[in-house]
Amino acid sequence: MNKLKFYFFHLMPYGFVPKSSEFDSSWVTLSNEHYDPTRGHQLYNEYIDLLVAAEKYGYDGAIVNEHHANAYGTMPSPNLIAAMVVTRTQRMPVGIVGNAIPLHGNPVRVAEEIAMLDVISGGRIISGFVRGIGCEYFNNPVPPTDSVERFWEANELILKAWTEPGPFTWQGKHYYIPNVNVWPRPIQKPHPPVWLPGMGSLETLRECARNRYTYMMIFAPTWMCKWAFDKLKEEAEICGYDLPRDQCMAAIPTYVAETDKQAHREAKAHMQWLFNTGLKIKSSHYFPPGYMSDRSFRGYWSAVRDKGAKAPMDLTYDDLIKQGYIIVGSPQTVAEGYAEYCDELGAGGVLCAGSPSGPMPNWMAMKNMQIFAEEVMPLFREADGKPDYLREGQKIGATNAERSAQLGEPDNPPTAPLQGMDDVADLRTIHLPEMIDASLYEGVTRELMEKD
Amino acid sequence: MDVPKPRNYYTQPQFIDVNGLSTAYRRKGSGEPVLFLHGAGSTRMWLPMYERFSESVDFIAPEHPGFGETPRPDWLQNFNDLVIHYDQFLAELDILDFHLVGWSLGGWTAAEFASYYPRRLKSLTLIVPIGLRLPDNPGVDFFKLLPEELVDLLFNDKAALETVAPDPDDFDEICQAHYEASTFAKLIWSPRYNLALEHRLQRLDCPALVVKAEDDRLVPGAMADRFAEVIPGAGTVTIPDTGHALCIERPNDTAVAILKFIQEND
Repeated sequence: MNKLKFYFFHLMPYGFVPKSSEFDSSWVTLSNEHYDPTRGHQLYNEYIDLLVAAEKYGYDGAIVNEHHANAYGTMPSPNLIAAMVVTRTQRMPVGIVGNAIPLHGNPVRVAEEIAMLDVISGGRIISGFVRGIGCEYFNNPVPPTDSVERFWEANELILKAWTEPGPFTWQGKHYYIPNVNVWPRPIQKPHPPVWLPGMGSLETLRECARNRYTYMMIFAPTWMCKWAFDKLKEEAEICGYDLPRDQCMAAIPTYVAETDKQAHREAKAHMQWLFNTGLKIKSSHYFPPGYMSDRSFRGYWSAVRDKGAKAPMDLTYDDLIKQGYIIVGSPQTVAEGYAEYCDELGAGGVLCAGSPSGPMPNWMAMKNMQIFAEEVMPLFREADGKPDYLREGQKIGATNAERSAQLGEPDNPPTAPLQGMDDVADLRTIHLPEMIDASLYEGVTRELMEKD
Repeated sequence: MDVPKPRNYYTQPQFIDVNGLSTAYRRKGSGEPVLFLHGAGSTRMWLPMYERFSESVDFIAPEHPGFGETPRPDWLQNFNDLVIHYDQFLAELDILDFHLVGWSLGGWTAAEFASYYPRRLKSLTLIVPIGLRLPDNPGVDFFKLLPEELVDLLFNDKAALETVAPDPDDFDEICQAHYEASTFAKLIWSPRYNLALEHRLQRLDCPALVVKAEDDRLVPGAMADRFAEVIPGAGTVTIPDTGHALCIERPNDTAVAILKFIQEND
């Protein structure tokens, strides 16, 4: 097994917006008048090409996520993008981290879409669940006050829909579904891996430990990431197991170039766009009342007041580098940074590894990606340089012949009741003349056939 | 519950058990019982307007579940829960018939109560209420505003604001404001109106008054007009030189206008 997994994460930013000094939030209120669909056409297609290319560069997975009404990430429907990436790749896992499950009227829809993607991809889907950030609630009838409860209830409902035979009735506080019966069922057993992004909430850490979900630390300083992973280890011990490193992931925007100097030269402005423009969020948009519990609200704001914690939009480039929010430098510098996450924090994977940060020119995103894949990845891999998934067996056969050999005769061959026949017709052979003619010589078809 | 005390006008409330919820309220005066339902803030205080009311009537000012010193119970989901809570609150105080006055969020709550129990009201007064739909004028989204933007739109009279504004550095007050705003969001996030009120309020047959601010910059003035249009026979009165916070900006004028209406309809 490799020391560290690398995920290519595309946030799909839209950079053609006014100067950030001219608006107070690039979320919620920044008008979509600034969105030019022609530019969007090119960007989406470049972005999707990069996600697909991640497989050939050797990434452990391509990652997408869901955000609404903003310039930071123009991906309101991540499942759509995942569907495109899935059909253009063969073996690489594709992660959706995640679907904002409290925001969707019926979580069964998410269970269905992920199951579809898992089946189509041959069991390659990572299914993240998120609450959506506070801003998301302004675009939605779901009150932010219900967000946490709906999140956990939807999570439970989706997991049950994937793992227990339907139909069943869901009688929850926020959802009542008379008939839950998800067709198709996912390929991965017991269910596609679940990842929960977090920013240090204790409840999320506990639930990750309890359910063996992967915890994914969102942009955060190194100390906070360490705190969260330590807490996750503790919680796993309470649940009676040693935390596998794979359960700890960190999202660290990373840019690599030939030298440290060149990397900073190329990355600085883009990293600043990501944090200072893309994440320029009015605090009333970030935290609509009730999005945070009263305890979390008190905890968050006392950290801001007493410890000088900064909102992303207030972080300088020096803050980002010094506090470990991002890693920028030569392959060696990046490798040293990652070694710390790996050896000292116990991380099993990094998201945003060699991934675009902010709206980069496509060539720059590709340059970052190529140097990253060729000069950083191998340092954390076994001698063959492969991602782990290539050493693991595939979930289902890759070819018709393999699958046919595995499947054998079906329990239920496809059949149809046929008029005039005692038995049902096997739809695989009924078109043969000796099978079909007897049935056709009944009733009205007989007259029609005899006309000839 | 550890609730901070405002700098001005704080008084110790009484508490009464309402179906398991310890409900804070302040009560003073004698004569006709007047139940006053507050808006989404200005809690924990015995405001000058309340004092003026208490000189003429039996003024009862409870704090809504999830506001002031009344905790937010798990069962609070919507306005129906508030209506039932206030029915039970009045039962505990042994009050059957009364005058009902509500301000802003309290106006919406009062309208809901009136739509369920129209025959218990001697009169209904809605002060710059919210809760109906203005199709072409959804108004300001309170929740998008920073606290300083919100109080700016609430108060036209900044001197009046000074009398009730918490110390901006008082962290407990900031947390209390978040607590109360969360209750407010729970109740009104979606939708910001109850369309059923348009129909239900038509069965009111008690005297009704809608009190308007002269220049409400938070809630469109058309909202008060719409309530007056929907409630049969409702009158309106405008308090000069006021904004949405008229109860604090012109406490005497507001109380006197409402007391006059109440006394006329006793």
